[in-house]
Amino acid sequence: MKKALALFLCLVMILSMAACGSKTTTETKPESKPEATQAPASGDKADEKPAANVPELKGPGNVTLKRLGYNTAFDPNDNIGADIIEQSTGYKVEYYMLPSENANEKLIMDISGGADYDAINISMNQFRQLVSQGALTPLDDLLDVYGQDILNSGHSPEVWDALRGDDGHIYAVPYMYPASHEIANFFTVRTDLTKAAGIEKMPTTIDEFYDMLVTLKNYYGDQYIICAGPFYQASEANEAWAVPKTITSAFGIYADWMVVDGKVIHMSEHENFPALLDFMAKLQSEGLIDPDWAVNNETTLKEKFSAGKVIVCAANRALGDYAVPALMENHGVTWDDLDYITALQGSDGTCKYMETTAFNFVTAIPKSSQNAADVVNWWNQRIRDELFITIGEEGVHFNYDDQGGIDPINPIFADERGSSYWYLDVTSAAYGSDLWPSRVRKSAGQWHAFSAVTMNPAPYIEFTTNEFKFKPATENFSTYNTTLFNDTMDFLKQVMAGTRTSADIERLHSDLVVAGLDDVRAELQAYYDAK
Amino acid sequence: MAKKVKSKGIAMDASEKFVTGFAYVLMTIFALIAILPCLHVASKSISGGTYVASGSVWFWPRGFQLETMEYILFETQFFQALKNSLIVTSVGTLISVIVSITTAYPLSKPSFKGRKVVTLLYVFSMVFFGGIVPAYMVVQMLGILDTYAAMILPFAIVQFNMFIIKNYFEGLPETVEESARIDGAGDFTVLTRIVIPMSTPVIATVTLLYAINYWNNYFHAMMYVQSTSMKTLQVYLYDLINSGSSFLENLASGGYTGEGVHTGLSVNITAEGITASAVTLSIIPIVLLYPLVQRFLIKGITIGSVKG
Repeated sequence: MKKALALFLCLVMILSMAACGSKTTTETKPESKPEATQAPASGDKADEKPAANVPELKGPGNVTLKRLGYNTAFDPNDNIGADIIEQSTGYKVEYYMLPSENANEKLIMDISGGADYDAINISMNQFRQLVSQGALTPLDDLLDVYGQDILNSGHSPEVWDALRGDDGHIYAVPYMYPASHEIANFFTVRTDLTKAAGIEKMPTTIDEFYDMLVTLKNYYGDQYIICAGPFYQASEANEAWAVPKTITSAFGIYADWMVVDGKVIHMSEHENFPALLDFMAKLQSEGLIDPDWAVNNETTLKEKFSAGKVIVCAANRALGDYAVPALMENHGVTWDDLDYITALQGSDGTCKYMETTAFNFVTAIPKSSQNAADVVNWWNQRIRDELFITIGEEGVHFNYDDQGGIDPINPIFADERGSSYWYLDVTSAAYGSDLWPSRVRKSAGQWHAFSAVTMNPAPYIEFTTNEFKFKPATENFSTYNTTLFNDTMDFLKQVMAGTRTSADIERLHSDLVVAGLDDVRAELQAYYDAK
Repeated sequence: MAKKVKSKGIAMDASEKFVTGFAYVLMTIFALIAILPCLHVASKSISGGTYVASGSVWFWPRGFQLETMEYILFETQFFQALKNSLIVTSVGTLISVIVSITTAYPLSKPSFKGRKVVTLLYVFSMVFFGGIVPAYMVVQMLGILDTYAAMILPFAIVQFNMFIIKNYFEGLPETVEESARIDGAGDFTVLTRIVIPMSTPVIATVTLLYAINYWNNYFHAMMYVQSTSMKTLQVYLYDLINSGSSFLENLASGGYTGEGVHTGLSVNITAEGITASAVTLSIIPIVLLYPLVQRFLIKGITIGSVKG
């Protein structure tokens, strides 16, 4: 009996392993399916002239497209955004969403399992993973035939190159982050309190900023939190900076990885990093910033600000949505009582702020789709009708102001175009500069800050290119960089809490080296050198 | 001699009184620890947005409003998700109980040939789970992705629950079944007319365990569902909490214009308020049901563990 049992268990184990092993076969299954596009095969044939025998359109009314997107709180099938797109393009579309958690696992399993999505709106990392698995349809020929408006929508060759696979084919269309020169981190200041303390002008240099905080501390003592933060920027990865970029700009630090004289350096290796540490430690030791700075999160910061406890508050646009109106309701503050501190200059005039040129999302067509031509045609029609679909009709949803800017008419704009952002698959280059600002403008709170710091940027701000904005995912970077970033931010918080000083920076470096600093640097340097 | 004090009919000495008092205080503290967070969330769900945003709502609503509740009920998929959860829980529980009983009964009979091997298979699959990828592939190959069946069939039998029933069946007196068989009853009649009526306590307990399992299932429901209209309440809730904030930031007209006039969404609807309202609404069915079934839950899983 025991032998029989042992044999049985062995058999079960072998079958289990065989079942697990078959995953590989299944995941590569889409490759073995006939390509809907009939485009040239990938690999060595990439240099050949694209074949013109792309599939014919089935056309609106003859096909129902299936489009997968990221998670949102509303039902995209039951939203006016879906009706507007159908009205504009004629295509009937069913919309699906990834879950809010485990989205990557779900996406990979769905695509590996041959789910019949026609378009998938995904992050750049998800895109890279699917390209490497050969799960996406090459789009070059389809774009040539059905997507001329997309190709001519003003994106640079660099953008299109970032959407190519190793075989040289384009595998997705771009949905770019709309504001490349946005000052996404700033300070919101209650001028009703600063004026009472004798401060009439917002600081533009790091020294003026310090003097302002000292003046406020002398005037108000412990009645208010003089300066509270940090307020994280959620639009890009690695933006949970423990010190606002409004301050780091004055020290020439604008990203976690930078290029100085052709060499890739980590922010902790920047020559001004010790000075930044000393400055933040000084603010903390003199009681000029919130003692809870290290443990604050977005919710607690909003609560403190809207409860009227904070004079100078680290912020991004989102603070204006609910915290500022709540402050107004609770404390009688008006818009005239608010001002903003933009990126600060150092003593030597340095003010470096990173350009946010990045992909918000990209949209691709899985190989399992049988409607690739119609998807590209659908995208193309939406690019042609971008203004109507995303912003609306002049005189109904918006008016043009004297400067040609789009001024939304509320509440119809919020009601009928408020959710159009979710449906975006591809944007034109002009979308960010001409159309998107109106989406910020629909919120008075966001627009008040955005127009002050971004629409009228201080002339001394030097927007600096992120050299790694289109870098494909690489192994060491993916594995180690989040830890490197978090360890550096933790160190900054420890310095502010007084448990570390800038003298401990060597120890930080040795910890970072153990955590993979040199491995990541080597990858980034190789990428930069190859550019 | 300790001073005697009079209680309702039973005299308690001072030390007993102290222990009783201490127990009351301790139980009250534990009850408050359990109930205060619920009260906090419920209060936030019906408080004014400005109070919620400024963190000044504790255990009693401030600036009473029902707009957030209305928004959850009529502008999101709350009812659809509730309907899905109710269908999955009721149908799933029924199927699971039937499958578990019909599996447990033969396995409880020593005369059933191959009993040990079959039991071993159940034990093995209880200890070793194949993983989500193979499970997903099975569901996908069965062609039931994005259906109620995908959220029910993979959990049609929970081995642990089946063993509870099996152990209970093994404790029933064999003589009762034998007398029924002498009267001409077959297996099905014995099971439905004799065994099941004698096993109502364990069946009630296992029914409750299955119902809780289906109601709370999040991960698999999330993995096997593609359409927004098929989300269960747990998936809906999780997504709303995770995505509600960014959704509102994009949708909101900020509640105010420069002149202080309300536009678009009400200022009462905040991300924190939405989360609180959704959580409050979603626990109402359980809160209503719990008093009716708690006695079965208290009997708990020990019911089948001791042979009678």
